[in-house]
Amino acid sequence: MPILETFHLSKKFPGALALDDFSFSIEKGEVHGLVGENGAGKSTLVKILSGVYRPTSGGFRVEGRTMNLRSPRDARFVGVVHQDRELIAHFNGYENLFLGMERTALGFLEKKRMKRETLAFMERYRMNFDPELPAEKLSGGQQQMLAILKVLFRSPEIVIFDEPTAPLSVQECDILFSLIDDLRGKGVAILYISHHLSEVLRLAERITVMRNGRKAATEESAKLDEPALIRLMLSRDVVNQYPKKAATVGDALFKMEKYSVPDLKIEPSDFYIRSGEIVGFAGLVGAGRTELAKAVFTGARHKSGTLMLDGRPFSSHSPRESIDKGVVMIPENRRDEGLIVDMNVGENLSLPQLKDWTALGFVNAARVRKAARETVSRYSIRSWGLPQLVKTLSGGNQQKVSIGKWSCARARLWIFDEPTQGVDVDAKTEIYSIMGELAEQGAGVWFISSEIRELLSVADRIYVMRGRRIAAECTRPFDNEKLLSAMIAAGPAGP
Amino acid sequence: MRNFLSRFGTIGALVVLTLAFVVAIPGFADSRNMLNILSQIALLAVISEGFTMCLVVGELDLAFPNVASLAGALAGGLIFGGMSPLSAVLLSLAAGVAFGATAGVLVTKVGIPSLITTLASGIIAGGMVYMYTKGVSFYGQMPEGFLSLGRGYVGPIPSLIAIMLAVVVLAQILISTTRVGKYMQATGANPVAARLAGIDTDRFKILALSLSGLAAAFTGVLLTAKLGSANPEGAAGYMMDAFASALLGMTVLGMGRAHPFGTFVGALMIGVINNGMTLAGAPYYTQDITKGAIIILSVALTSLQSKKA
Repeated sequence: MPILETFHLSKKFPGALALDDFSFSIEKGEVHGLVGENGAGKSTLVKILSGVYRPTSGGFRVEGRTMNLRSPRDARFVGVVHQDRELIAHFNGYENLFLGMERTALGFLEKKRMKRETLAFMERYRMNFDPELPAEKLSGGQQQMLAILKVLFRSPEIVIFDEPTAPLSVQECDILFSLIDDLRGKGVAILYISHHLSEVLRLAERITVMRNGRKAATEESAKLDEPALIRLMLSRDVVNQYPKKAATVGDALFKMEKYSVPDLKIEPSDFYIRSGEIVGFAGLVGAGRTELAKAVFTGARHKSGTLMLDGRPFSSHSPRESIDKGVVMIPENRRDEGLIVDMNVGENLSLPQLKDWTALGFVNAARVRKAARETVSRYSIRSWGLPQLVKTLSGGNQQKVSIGKWSCARARLWIFDEPTQGVDVDAKTEIYSIMGELAEQGAGVWFISSEIRELLSVADRIYVMRGRRIAAECTRPFDNEKLLSAMIAAGPAGP
Repeated sequence: MRNFLSRFGTIGALVVLTLAFVVAIPGFADSRNMLNILSQIALLAVISEGFTMCLVVGELDLAFPNVASLAGALAGGLIFGGMSPLSAVLLSLAAGVAFGATAGVLVTKVGIPSLITTLASGIIAGGMVYMYTKGVSFYGQMPEGFLSLGRGYVGPIPSLIAIMLAVVVLAQILISTTRVGKYMQATGANPVAARLAGIDTDRFKILALSLSGLAAAFTGVLLTAKLGSANPEGAAGYMMDAFASALLGMTVLGMGRAHPFGTFVGALMIGVINNGMTLAGAPYYTQDITKGAIIILSVALTSLQSKKA
């Protein structure tokens, strides 16, 4: 009997199906890998298993018992090692370890006993750092180890590792891997989530690949390799699924030469975007795509290199300056960066252009309404009216507001960072046609996406980023193999 | 129904409370007593509107009572020292703006949380009051023109009430109809998104703290004009009532965020409670207990509402 089994698990959010009829199982003592691009539904699955979300339909069984979790407190059978280590910074090792289950005598903390038990527990997992140091004084890797210990200390039957190696050094990774072997031997089931496919292949017996909220496959890892995994992660049908408008490609609109930003670890990069062109940016998580775009838009201090816009040198020190000079950005994280969700549709759409619609400091409400209504109808934003709060819109309509706020900016270069993440299929198509129209009108579109399929069908050219620099350029007709190998560095790299 | 309650609950409570006092207390409904209530809350409303500006941009100001005292003492001292009332008032207001603007720069450019910055600047202002006054009140003859700020009439309306209404209306116009007001709201609602939309959020935080300093200084000046003397502890009592007004104000119209009209309703509520209970002969301490309970009740209604949503 599998220790964990999900059946037809689905989770619906307004406007998006985050998890769609997902069924899989983990055996006792198994390390089960879980891979998929951003937005594939991995975190939603973790949150359902740990009681943060309740599924919309379907359910899961632990050791044959059907689970009905009302809150994370009901999920004692599962321990999650999160990406952001959940430690209290100024509590020391054993205080963190015993958090919520402190040993006491007559209400007083038994510090000596907790310290003794902590040392014994650390010994068991061959860890050595001072349990009396505050967590913030430990190295990143030691903190991660402490977070893992904290999870194990509660002896869960299933341990979920969510990107555990991100903060670890090579030696620390080895410690983690031997610890996972240990756990496997003790019969603990492990769900191992990582973007580092080589790790997953090395550790897991079986691997489940997720794509768009669904299970793409579960395979024994012996039968897989990295390219095979990536192919499963990305959709198979790379045909022209989206209507690509033929735009007339003009002269170079934006040009970057040897641009580097040490603060953001951006290595010297060169590329150009022509007017009328949609230029895709592909890469795995951490490749530096968002960082590069944000550096340009927010005017980060760069160490070297030049930027040109419309044949003139482009320099900026703030988002305002970039906007005024014709560069706008639709950030990846729309709820936190792209929108002010507690303000309404009209206010959000008018914020960046408000200065054009003000007389003597007073907002011309009629002008604002008129412009906002035009944007609403041009981008078919569905709301009951301009006074609707943005937080009550569906994901796709929120995204269209986030794009629409620039509609009057007369921008030359539009940066879209993962614009279709978490939006439904209809909204995706609408967003592609917005990008197409912009290109048609002679703007340049800088299109960052983790969904290879949409890059292949929407972009005119694709740059591949790897290791915080531009690693390759692909032109139509696109060569899938070259693109994939440039992303994972398995093949010939370099531009 | 719930929605209606969260929208008009606070205003409804104010109406019910007022009607209850009208029925129960003879003399409460007098037009003279009504004007009296408004006069009593005039200074509270002015200082609370400044504090409201800080809440709008998502910052706090703990310095305003002491800044008010400092400006009040400065105005009194300068006038007794022979300066023309106009210059004395302008100088005092400038001192308030300087305090607010300095705090704003420390908050935005240095990165000290506003809670800490204004706690410290408030302590400094308090110290400067004593340095300036040596701890004694300034008494003496002040020019009629200056005193009429606090004691005069505009037609049949006491000048303090006229000033209060002007400040409330101006603050509301600033927040709801000007670009600066929209930018302030955006800064408070989501500073990251506001910055990426091209708004210089630092500027609007500094502006809000400066306006709070200005409102505080103005309150101090009015207090000196009202009393005809400058007291070093003059405005210390406004801290709690101003917080209460602004917090009550957040529940007005179910906005869940600070706005000038709401703050005015909050100040009215406090004025009605104070006045009604005093007329009813209730001891002073029961007023505080009642005020506290009413604040918790009305904010609780709004919180429950937003939790449900």
